[in-house]
Amino acid sequence: MTHSDPPAGAESWRGLGESPLQPLSPHLAPCLALHKAAGWLVVVLAVAWMPLGDSPLLAWRAWLVAGVAGCAALGVGLAWCEARRRGYALREHDIVQRRGLLVRRLQALPLVRLQHIETRSNPLERCFGLVRLACFTAGGRGADLLIEGLPAAQAELLKQQLLDRLSGASGESSA
Amino acid sequence: MSDPLAEWQRLSPWAMVSLLLTQAAEQGRQHLPLLLGAGAGLTLLDAIGWRELLLAGGGVLCLALLLAWRYYRRFRFRLEDDVLVIHSGLFEQREYKLAAHHVQQIATRQPLHMRPFGVVEWQVVPLAGDASRITLPGIRQAIAEALSERLSPYALTPQAAAPAHYVLTAKGLLLHGLTSRSVMVAAAMLSPLIRPLERWLHDIAPSLAWRDWLPTAPLLLAALALLVVLAVVLLLSVIAAAWRFFGYRLVEHGGRQIQTSGLLQRQRQSLTLSRLQVVEWVETGPGRLLGCGYLVCHQFGGAGDEGRRFLVPGITGGEQRRLLATLWPGLSWPAELVRVSRHYRRVLLLRGVLLGGLLLAGSGALLDVTLPGWQWLLLAAALLALVVLGAWRRWYCQGWARSGDYLWVRHGLFGLRTHVFALHKAIAVDVRQSWFQRRRGLATLHLHLAHGRVALPYIEHATALALADELLAACASDSVVEPPD
Repeated sequence: MTHSDPPAGAESWRGLGESPLQPLSPHLAPCLALHKAAGWLVVVLAVAWMPLGDSPLLAWRAWLVAGVAGCAALGVGLAWCEARRRGYALREHDIVQRRGLLVRRLQALPLVRLQHIETRSNPLERCFGLVRLACFTAGGRGADLLIEGLPAAQAELLKQQLLDRLSGASGESSA
Repeated sequence: MSDPLAEWQRLSPWAMVSLLLTQAAEQGRQHLPLLLGAGAGLTLLDAIGWRELLLAGGGVLCLALLLAWRYYRRFRFRLEDDVLVIHSGLFEQREYKLAAHHVQQIATRQPLHMRPFGVVEWQVVPLAGDASRITLPGIRQAIAEALSERLSPYALTPQAAAPAHYVLTAKGLLLHGLTSRSVMVAAAMLSPLIRPLERWLHDIAPSLAWRDWLPTAPLLLAALALLVVLAVVLLLSVIAAAWRFFGYRLVEHGGRQIQTSGLLQRQRQSLTLSRLQVVEWVETGPGRLLGCGYLVCHQFGGAGDEGRRFLVPGITGGEQRRLLATLWPGLSWPAELVRVSRHYRRVLLLRGVLLGGLLLAGSGALLDVTLPGWQWLLLAAALLALVVLGAWRRWYCQGWARSGDYLWVRHGLFGLRTHVFALHKAIAVDVRQSWFQRRRGLATLHLHLAHGRVALPYIEHATALALADELLAACASDSVVEPPD
């Protein structure tokens, strides 16, 4: 077998672009939008309260604030739409995630590369009952795949499935 | 016969002396401005007097000796079957355990001052990467060799017996010194000397006799100065290359590559071929002109420090093809690399023009430069020419090839870097499409490899997906932790 062939016993081998993806929690969109909005609010307030003295920009402050607020609204809207598009799939030999709106990304991490898995959630995510799943590989400096917006129960199930695959793979390699 | 490595072993006492001296030198170097800067040392001396200063120095020396003694007493190691166990720690006891099948690379270094005592510094890099490197700062050479033999058979011992399949020649060493990145390091090292040199030239040089020998034309003088600086930088770079790579030999033994090099500090590194992840063929701009390049062998969690990487330097005359075939048997150099889409060139051009326009507008607004219109036009034309050349070169240098089970990715501007790796060595893949790429049916394939990320921009979307599928299929039949040989 050459490496380009599908793995043995994988009759249902599908291409990366053809895999059906599971949507993430519908709560991810408002959660991400709120997160973005909080970040933009700091910028809008900074522009609104920026000491300008006698600068000619003073007359334009309202327009400046309106412009930044418009950008904020656009950013929040994009984040909302992007979150609705996200999806993931746990396939036989890898885990796939689709994300991005203007720049679309299709990430795939082979399960044999997986070293350990972490679940994380910040206070905002906990309010929405969401969990992030971080997958780490050997020698990596950070998470190589981060799936945001999983409902807590689904995250636990996915984590358990991945751990089962991990222990199965290590059992096969040591046999 | 009992195994001496099964008993607890200690560091060499000479290593402790060496550690003490190097630590003192390091501390002195780090705190030099505090000790001597702006007359601080003299002020301190005046304030407290010689006797008190000597007493304090003696106290610090006694404390350092006490700590060194405690470090020596608490640092011990031994082998339990094929597991290296190390106990260390000044105030808290730490225990490290490393199994032989998790060893990725073993290296020994022997600085000049350790040679008379037969002591070496022994280092082992586990599969977790360079950040988890374990160092035994000074052990007897015989123990180091026995340890290497037990943890990684044939790792470091056979170099006298096995014939070298690559030896760095004097020409290769010279060319490597002239063309490698050491030139930039040498230039960076010399940069703090610019201000004192400028001051010296302004204050003292006019009174010197040799000034009469210099040309009077300012342009000629500037060219001469540039030439002298360049010569000094190149000389330093060659010295740096000789310091590290003098006497470089590469030996193959038992599925491992073992390199030995170093002028005063002898260094040996072993590389297990089954753990080799990516090989990078590097040609710098000057290197391409002089026909010289070097190979970098990457493993998991590669060393950020250039000095610790497994390098094959000073390769000339197309020898990289033979060496690559040695590292990965069956690998053949592709006849031609596939170029990426021409749209990549256009995108680069557009980005460059936007950046250049912003630069011009910004410099005009901020510096309030009142140049005549034709000079602005000339400047813009020069900038545009540079952008066009840069975009074309970047596109021209970008290429990829699939040759058997190996993938080749090349990129660069004036220098070239070619990454070669087996398909099953990829860690993760990432297919990205911007709005523009979607309209043209293109995509950028990001390959996550052991040494970092390599991008293959602006290839056909279907090709990117097919390549990603092939990489994933190859990985499915592979495992990160290879079983021991």
